[in-house]
Amino acid sequence: MIAFFVRRLLQAVVVILLVTMITFALLRAIPGNVAIAILGPTAYRNPATIAQFDATYGFNKPWFDQYFLWLGHLAQGNLGYSWKLNQSVASLLGNRLPKTVILVGISTIIALIVAIPIGVYQAVRRNKAADYTFTALSFLFYAAPTFFVGTVMILVFADELHLFGPEGPQGGLVSDFTDWKDLTLPVVTLALVTFALFSRYMRSSTLDNITEDYVRTARAKGASERRVLIRHVLRNSLIPIATLVGLNIPLIVSGALITESVFNYPGMGYLFFQAAQQQDYPTLLGVLIVVAIATVIGSLVADIAYAVLDPRVRYVSS
Amino acid sequence: MAPLLEIKDLHTEIRLRRSTVHAIDGVNLTVEPGECLGIVGESGCGKTMTALSVMRLLPNGGHITGGSIVLDGQDITNLDDEAMQDVRGNLVGMIFQDPMTSLNPTMTIGDQIAESVRLHRGADKQAGLERAVEVLGLVGMPKPAERIGNFPHQLSGGMRQRVMIAMALACEPKLLIADEPTTALDVTIQKQILELLDNLRQRLGMAVILVTHDLGVIAGRADRVAVMYAGRVVETTDTTTLFANPRHPYTQALFEALPDKIVEPAGVAKRLYNIPGQPPDLTSPPQGCKFAARCRYAQDSCRETEPDLTYDVALHEYRCFFPVGEAALDAPAQDADAPTVAAAEAEAEAEATEGAVPVLATAPSVAGDGATPNGTLLKVEHLIKDFPVTAGAILQRRVGSVSAVADVSFEVPRGKTFGMVGESGCGKTTIGRLIVGLEKANAGSITFDGQDLAKLSNRGRRQHSGKIQLMFQDSYASMDPRMRVATILREPLVIQKQGSRRDQEKRIAAIMNEVGLPQAALERYPHEFSGGQRQRLGLARALVLRPSMIVADEPVSALDVSIQAQILNLMLDLQKDNGLTYLFISHDLSVVRYLSDIIGVMYLGKLVEVGPADDVYFGPVHPYTKGLIDTVPVADPLLERAKESQGVMGELPSAVAPPSGCRFRTRCPLAQDICAEQEPPLRPFTAKGHLAACHFPLREPEADAGAPAVAEKTTASGGQ
Ligand code: SF4
Ligand code: SF4
Repeated sequence: MIAFFVRRLLQAVVVILLVTMITFALLRAIPGNVAIAILGPTAYRNPATIAQFDATYGFNKPWFDQYFLWLGHLAQGNLGYSWKLNQSVASLLGNRLPKTVILVGISTIIALIVAIPIGVYQAVRRNKAADYTFTALSFLFYAAPTFFVGTVMILVFADELHLFGPEGPQGGLVSDFTDWKDLTLPVVTLALVTFALFSRYMRSSTLDNITEDYVRTARAKGASERRVLIRHVLRNSLIPIATLVGLNIPLIVSGALITESVFNYPGMGYLFFQAAQQQDYPTLLGVLIVVAIATVIGSLVADIAYAVLDPRVRYVSS
Repeated sequence: MAPLLEIKDLHTEIRLRRSTVHAIDGVNLTVEPGECLGIVGESGCGKTMTALSVMRLLPNGGHITGGSIVLDGQDITNLDDEAMQDVRGNLVGMIFQDPMTSLNPTMTIGDQIAESVRLHRGADKQAGLERAVEVLGLVGMPKPAERIGNFPHQLSGGMRQRVMIAMALACEPKLLIADEPTTALDVTIQKQILELLDNLRQRLGMAVILVTHDLGVIAGRADRVAVMYAGRVVETTDTTTLFANPRHPYTQALFEALPDKIVEPAGVAKRLYNIPGQPPDLTSPPQGCKFAARCRYAQDSCRETEPDLTYDVALHEYRCFFPVGEAALDAPAQDADAPTVAAAEAEAEAEATEGAVPVLATAPSVAGDGATPNGTLLKVEHLIKDFPVTAGAILQRRVGSVSAVADVSFEVPRGKTFGMVGESGCGKTTIGRLIVGLEKANAGSITFDGQDLAKLSNRGRRQHSGKIQLMFQDSYASMDPRMRVATILREPLVIQKQGSRRDQEKRIAAIMNEVGLPQAALERYPHEFSGGQRQRLGLARALVLRPSMIVADEPVSALDVSIQAQILNLMLDLQKDNGLTYLFISHDLSVVRYLSDIIGVMYLGKLVEVGPADDVYFGPVHPYTKGLIDTVPVADPLLERAKESQGVMGELPSAVAPPSGCRFRTRCPLAQDICAEQEPPLRPFTAKGHLAACHFPLREPEADAGAPAVAEKTTASGGQ
């Protein structure tokens, strides 16, 4: 078991290193003078800035030296400087990332809490009216673009009914909890989209398990349907879902990007959106690296969750 | 005393989207307390549905539509769900066929067993687990207290089935339903599990319903037998009477289709009785007697009205207008001198093929110099195959190796059948794959038709691959489901660039005739065929290239008795007509004995005994062979009950670290110290090529046995 984790951790490190290489290559692929591209056209008039930039990032050295230099900066948390926003990328992310984590975290938890029972319910009532209804709903949310869902939310619940605010909480992390009414719509929007995905998986995973022989064995023992579902089917059906959540972090984050833009929610996604509009390359790359690392961690967590839930994986080496 | 279970006129239907399957159509059965009732029949006959009806665990769409099931004085067809939950696992327990899939993979076996105790006895977690340890001990699980924390995948198949039994017995039910409890297990484990069930039944005084397709299993264990066909019980009586004097033509036909019943010596042409056709479609069952379409005694009246239950003597019931056998009970004597249809057929067959009969006379030496008139077609010498065992997901480190085939030598004379038997994991399948070239040997040679296969050029190898063909257990899985049969059969010819398109089509048409499939079938897809037809297709595909040898790996294991007989007969016909040589690989000793001229017995990668089929079967020399023969259930209650030996005890050890010396020593009743130190060489016991590898054989070699070259060579290379 421990060997398994160590091996998985080493793999994760390798993948993250690869990600940094790709990011570095992207950085170098920006056409024209890197310094100007990164510092912005105004730097053109200031050769000293360019020289300082070239020296800091070692643009006068061979590319692999540059890479290791850049990697060293990265390791120290130095992700570069956004001249557009006049702030270091690290401090920008330091403000924005927690807000995105809150948004993604709360909405994922809500989506799971709703999707798991509904998926199981659909499987039990397979091909009945309730199943078809939820299937239609989840397809609707799955297919509808996030910005559309978000806009409808604003129109209905904010503009018409005045129940919640049309914009996400604008302050720091604390405002998310004080202005929870403003947080509601972004969370619900993102939760609806992820719910659609999770409930589909939960339904099919439950269906797979419900026809298994061991479920029949449980019934033959005299267990009630309720007990069969909760004690036997649920745990086995959750195994693929745990993996799914981990593996879908990029998908959820990209959903967050759009949700944040629709609600002007000052998280990492909105930051990315703004940076892309303003061609703020250091910020873009900083966000990319964070998302990449989150993805790797997500799949690591998925593997560990899998091993914890499934004894066949846990004991494979013993 | 009132019966424990009384099923009266039970009707069960399964509603599908477009049709309704009349799975059970008027079944009457009783089970007395403490009795073992066997239910036999081919797949789809309703035997499992009967069991599931009693549990009220029918599959989706299944309903009991009529009749009553009175269990311990109460009609369970009227119980509500909650009351039924009190019955299941408490009054009646059930064990299922596949112990791997029937246990919850993420729950410890202790918790799984404790669950029913907690449900029915209101025990707390601790008491439940204590009871689990107790019943695990009862079912023969070694060190049960240490095992309760295990998950199912950590146990062997036999141990898992013990867990299943423990689970069903935890609340001491009055009735245990065992649905094909040993079908997924090896014969040696099968025997152990059946013994255990018998033993528990007597100790706990519970009744057992044993549902199986295997007449051999029924013969030794059941007090009474119900034979089912097309959703009805067609015959019921006590086991001895049923086997001695079957009255229903279907029962009689089942017996005659069994290879165990053949008494002619191996190698003599003989045929099994063919039950023509297939069981009827139960979505629209035929009028009249449901067996009429396949019955050799059917009259017009059979097709119009359905025969009622007829009582012969008390307790012998059957549904037939024109029963076979004897009304009186002195039938066994009569049975012996009245030639059955099969015997008559076999006689006619024997006359027709006079020249081919004295097979063994023309093959005096099976493993000797190969100077037979026909010559040796295949010669395998010192074959070794190890499979690496790797660890790690990416960097596949080699941590050991499985010794799948360890120094095996044998010969197959042209036109003969070499039957290879052994438990799963003994290496018999690997040998087949090595011979057809699907696997490469680590050492040793395979000489086919005088050519060493390892030394062939690429072109030579391609030609060779046409001459030896492989036939699988599941031909369907090896066929592209999107190809029509014509394309599937033509493919080998196209690959080998044989003949023009017209020649190829002619060849295919001829093959279809040979294997008994209609030409129209060429336009169909594999999924449109039944199990038996698929095996015919498998044979057809193997034959397209006119091979001289077919390696058949468990070709009939997945088939029902009647279909198995059809395929075995077909294989014999094809051998006679085309002079084919077979390497027939199977775990089923009676089938191997029926078909083979020579039998080879494998144990954990070693060939432990080889010789003329009847010599090996009736006069085994190696303790393993003897154990295997005693283990295989025979469809004869007298023989089966007379068996004293326990068969082969224990479980197959790991082939990663096989036991030193004789690999069988961990399970051998005769093992001595020397068995662990020195590997016994394969040595001759008769002049006819009967060899075995054992230090303490069951009998001494005949004086004129001699010492053929093979044995010497084996000695030289053995003993490491
Ligand atoms: S009733 Fe007729 S068709 Fe049916 S089994 Fe008897 S003889 Fe055969
Ligand atoms: S050599 Fe020894 S252990 Fe092996 S089969 Fe013979 S008696 Fe048994």
